[in-house]
Amino acid sequence: MHMTKLRALAFALSAVAGLAVAATVRAGDLLVTGAKPDRLYVIDAEKRAVKSEFRIPGANGIVGAIIPSPDGKVAYVVVNKMESISGIDLKTGKEVFRADLSKPGERVKNFFALDVTSDGKELIVYELPTLLKPSEYQVEDPRFAVFKTNAGLHAKVSRSFPAPRRLHMILMRPGGKTFYAIGFDLYEYETATGKLVGTHGIQKWQLPAHSQPDLLAFWPVTEPTGVFTSPVISEATAGGAAALKTGMMVLDVRAGTLEFNDFEDTSALIFSTVLSPDRKFAYGVYSTLTKVDMASHTLAKRVPVDHTFYSINVATDGHEVYIAGAMCDVGFYDPTSLERRANLKLPGCGDQSLASLRVIPAR
Amino acid sequence: MSELKPTNRKAELLLKAAAEGPIDEVVAMDTVAGCATTFDPGWEIDAFGGVASLCQPMEADLYGCSDPCWWPAQVPDTMNTYPNWSDGKPSAQNDWRELDAVFPKK
Repeated sequence: MHMTKLRALAFALSAVAGLAVAATVRAGDLLVTGAKPDRLYVIDAEKRAVKSEFRIPGANGIVGAIIPSPDGKVAYVVVNKMESISGIDLKTGKEVFRADLSKPGERVKNFFALDVTSDGKELIVYELPTLLKPSEYQVEDPRFAVFKTNAGLHAKVSRSFPAPRRLHMILMRPGGKTFYAIGFDLYEYETATGKLVGTHGIQKWQLPAHSQPDLLAFWPVTEPTGVFTSPVISEATAGGAAALKTGMMVLDVRAGTLEFNDFEDTSALIFSTVLSPDRKFAYGVYSTLTKVDMASHTLAKRVPVDHTFYSINVATDGHEVYIAGAMCDVGFYDPTSLERRANLKLPGCGDQSLASLRVIPAR
Repeated sequence: MSELKPTNRKAELLLKAAAEGPIDEVVAMDTVAGCATTFDPGWEIDAFGGVASLCQPMEADLYGCSDPCWWPAQVPDTMNTYPNWSDGKPSAQNDWRELDAVFPKK
């Protein structure tokens, strides 16, 4: 029997028996991150070692949001000063898809918002176009551009439709009929037509005794639960005194539910969280590693980390928390004690900066 | 507007255009045309008026902010004018001495 199947069976049996996941049963995840100037790293999470180091052609100094294809074989990466999307085969490192968004006279940027349809056939990319005129820049309306993922290295837009300003994330819903776009508010669009089918308040939330909230949704992590979470900060006036509160935004991309719950006075966590597989805890990172109890909406634990990290993720079976982004370290942490188990320095020590940290489960 | 008096020809044209209504609607620049995506305070003070929420060290945050043009006052505009400012310096922690000041080209 293939080893991954054996592992999966062992995991299933332990779950049926109601046992905690045994220390020897591991998910065998791969981690994917990027770094300046053009690197894409595939990391064996169990060995805590770099499995592959690839160079992305024409990255032009920036490796940004990383979107794995649904089958985990290709990573779509925002590169080239946010003007190109490069699809890299995660086994060979070969570039298999390329969409250069700008053209002469029109500069197009993508600020993190893109996702691939659940059948892997289309890429939805948020475009911010500007006309470069002889004496002025003319801001054009933003749009969603759709690319076929089999379009090769000179992919052209297959269709596009209008989009609101200030989006930073696209999250495809299961089945692929609609997708969420996170910006000032949460929007839902039909993938085929671009029709807006729903708006949920973020800036316009209707939370009693709370000011307009603020959040920074740059890290498109929904694994392993299919739930996107983000810290959200607002001024709460309950009880008469105003105080800045940090809460958790919890968007279940599958179920279509959206919740906000304060968990502490604002102090240390401003962006980037991930939900544990059992959904009992959220982990967040910045200059500390934070654990939030999602049932009681309280701070469960917080420990300092060596320096600021931007991105966080968790093992598919929940046995380890990973932190990355900003500088060139990838940290491996115990999800209960938040003690550091290991630290991996990426070869060459280029800054990961805003690159996503994605987990691809063993298959 | 009546309190303001134009002091040059361009300002006169602007007032005239404003009066006649042909000026394009002002739209938010969002993130692309200029290198100013936000008006966050910067590296000296955090969003809450303190320093506890600043990145540690600031080099950890340097490219994360300069690449998307977060704080244009402190670093060169890498989106428009100085796109190659950080070329060959992939690690802010190790290469910060080489991240030079820039000057307008003559």
